[in-house]
Amino acid sequence: MTDDDAELVALIDNELDETRRTALLARLAADEGLRRRYQALREAGAPLAASFDELLRQAPLARLRAALPAAEPRSSSRFGGLALRELAAGVVIGIFAAGLVAWAAWSFGLLGGREDWRTAVAEYAHLYTDDTFAPLKPDHALEAAQLSFVGAKVGADLTPESVALPGLRFTTAFMLSHEGHPLGVIAYVDPTGAPVLFCIHANHAADAPLRSERRGDLSLASWSRGGRGHLVIGHMPEERAVALAQMLEKRV
Amino acid sequence: MSEASRREVRAGLEPSLARLWRYALVLSRARDVADDLVQATCLRAIERADQFVPGTRVDRWLFAILRSIWLNEIRSRRIREGGGFVDAADALTTDGAREIETNITASAVLRAIDRLPEAQRETVLLVYGEGYSYAEAAAAFGVPIGTIMSRLAAGRAALAKLK
Repeated sequence: MTDDDAELVALIDNELDETRRTALLARLAADEGLRRRYQALREAGAPLAASFDELLRQAPLARLRAALPAAEPRSSSRFGGLALRELAAGVVIGIFAAGLVAWAAWSFGLLGGREDWRTAVAEYAHLYTDDTFAPLKPDHALEAAQLSFVGAKVGADLTPESVALPGLRFTTAFMLSHEGHPLGVIAYVDPTGAPVLFCIHANHAADAPLRSERRGDLSLASWSRGGRGHLVIGHMPEERAVALAQMLEKRV
Repeated sequence: MSEASRREVRAGLEPSLARLWRYALVLSRARDVADDLVQATCLRAIERADQFVPGTRVDRWLFAILRSIWLNEIRSRRIREGGGFVDAADALTTDGAREIETNITASAVLRAIDRLPEAQRETVLLVYGEGYSYAEAAAAFGVPIGTIMSRLAAGRAALAKLK
């Protein structure tokens, strides 16, 4: 049993509070080993209800009734506790499984061949809340290691210094993929915990100058250079996304 | 209040019998002890019916009585008498001598549950078999919720090894 098991099980059973839940979901999105462990623990518990029902069927009811102290016989009523738990678990699993399936489909590039990668990122960014990345507080060594890993995958030289942005705190960096191309994600939070992502997609795109747009609540600023697409995205005014992008464009 | 209490307790006994027996079997791992434990629980419940608050869950109340009798009377007596615990292998899937006919998956799972330490076994039953929330299980056992989480995780991890 690993240290994470207890939290994973609480997630499976829909017993984690909101903060820990979103933090764990973010970790799961970035950690394939952790996801496998989640699946294993979830599947291990799947046959439990049926097995316990089987045990219930073995109860020697006639003998037990006979031993009752002259109680009046009543028709048995099934308490809803188990059914409720199954429903709750099913809903969480359904939502999370759907999210995982969508995530897996996205990471294997299955979400529509013509879909702009920035659209895919924007759709996922809508799920993130102020609680998603804020709990992550890496030290300098971890930040450097994560950036080095991501940088190697997308072919860019990434260091804590080169990706540092004013008013934003680095929380994590991880790898996804879109249409078979590596997609690096660097997640920051502003002082309120609101997430800002800097994404690098090694998609062999032709050079394109910086441009910006709004999608719903999100501002996007993107450019392409050196065979890589770059994107800054977050809940902020468009001008700020452009300013951040301009800083990164000079350094990355 | 007394009359309502007694009425609700009596009405709640028969519908709870099978589940009380299941709980007793998971705790004691012995079918004869389970029978006795259920009977003792029903007697104690009627004796103490005045203490039951009408409108609350009688099944949970009965479970608490069963657990108390197991811990404070039967279990401790067995230890005192030096019998310890008959290491009844596969107590949940055999009837003394012969294998109870059941489906293969349930049988494998029940054997695995049977091998869990008592605390994990009991927690897995109450949470996954009886639908206790983590908070309810923590209150029932008088332990922190973190302990419930660890026990469930250990139980699931043991079951995961079945594959």
